[in-house]
Amino acid sequence: MSKPITNGRVVSQRARIGTQREYETVTILRPETSRPEIGEIIARMQEVLGSRGAKLMKLDSWGTRVLAFPIAHCRKGIYLYWRYLGGSDVVAEFERHMRLSDKIVRFYTVLVDEDVDPEARPSEVTEELIEAATDPGPDPDELARQAAAEAAAREAASESRRERPDVFEGEEEFNAEGDN
Amino acid sequence: MRDDFRDSKDRDRGDRDRGERGDREGRSRKRFNIAEMKDLVIDYKNPQMLKNFLTDRGKIVPARISGLTARQQRQLTQAIKRARMLALLPFTSG
Repeated sequence: MSKPITNGRVVSQRARIGTQREYETVTILRPETSRPEIGEIIARMQEVLGSRGAKLMKLDSWGTRVLAFPIAHCRKGIYLYWRYLGGSDVVAEFERHMRLSDKIVRFYTVLVDEDVDPEARPSEVTEELIEAATDPGPDPDELARQAAAEAAAREAASESRRERPDVFEGEEEFNAEGDN
Repeated sequence: MRDDFRDSKDRDRGDRDRGERGDREGRSRKRFNIAEMKDLVIDYKNPQMLKNFLTDRGKIVPARISGLTARQQRQLTQAIKRARMLALLPFTSG
């Protein structure tokens, strides 16, 4: 009896041929997930990819966004985008670990490319990139509130200018300069 | 009568040709111009673009109204359905 190539592990057929597939996964984390917690998730997932011979090509944080509909009682979510080379076994393992995490509320994997030579594709992932990806970004509600406040202030300013038609444009600035 | 909208020239051309600029008078529904759509990149990661192809209620606009080619429309529906999975676009709204 010949020795099994897989050593009992599920390995995709591509891995034997020598090429890999390119996948991208988008994950949605709970909005209250802190920076160190995101860093922890990234580190764990990198480990999972590394242990299966996959290569992380890109990691990107889309920041906190308002969801189009609530997922797991969350109205907002932190989006993380991963692109990696690997086989179908990598995706299965990656998703299994995501399912185990209680911080991840949704993930979705898409096949981007078949038969990719892993040597020909340099990875874009650097330490700084990973550090930047842990940033959950500004709260969209807070941003909306700020924008509304700024718009209101601008509205009030234009309103007051309209009430003083005798003041020409630039005159205020001119007077202010003259005072100094 | 439906044909009241068309002049005699349009009637000769028949229904199949009315997709171009010479839509029936008063019934022009095409949202985008053809040149713009030729190099339209359809990606589920760009919900702002995909929103143009949704109705107010969140339904996918049919090809006869969006003016996309059959291939583009297939890519579009796939992209919208993916974006919905990621809560970037609504399944329904309004």
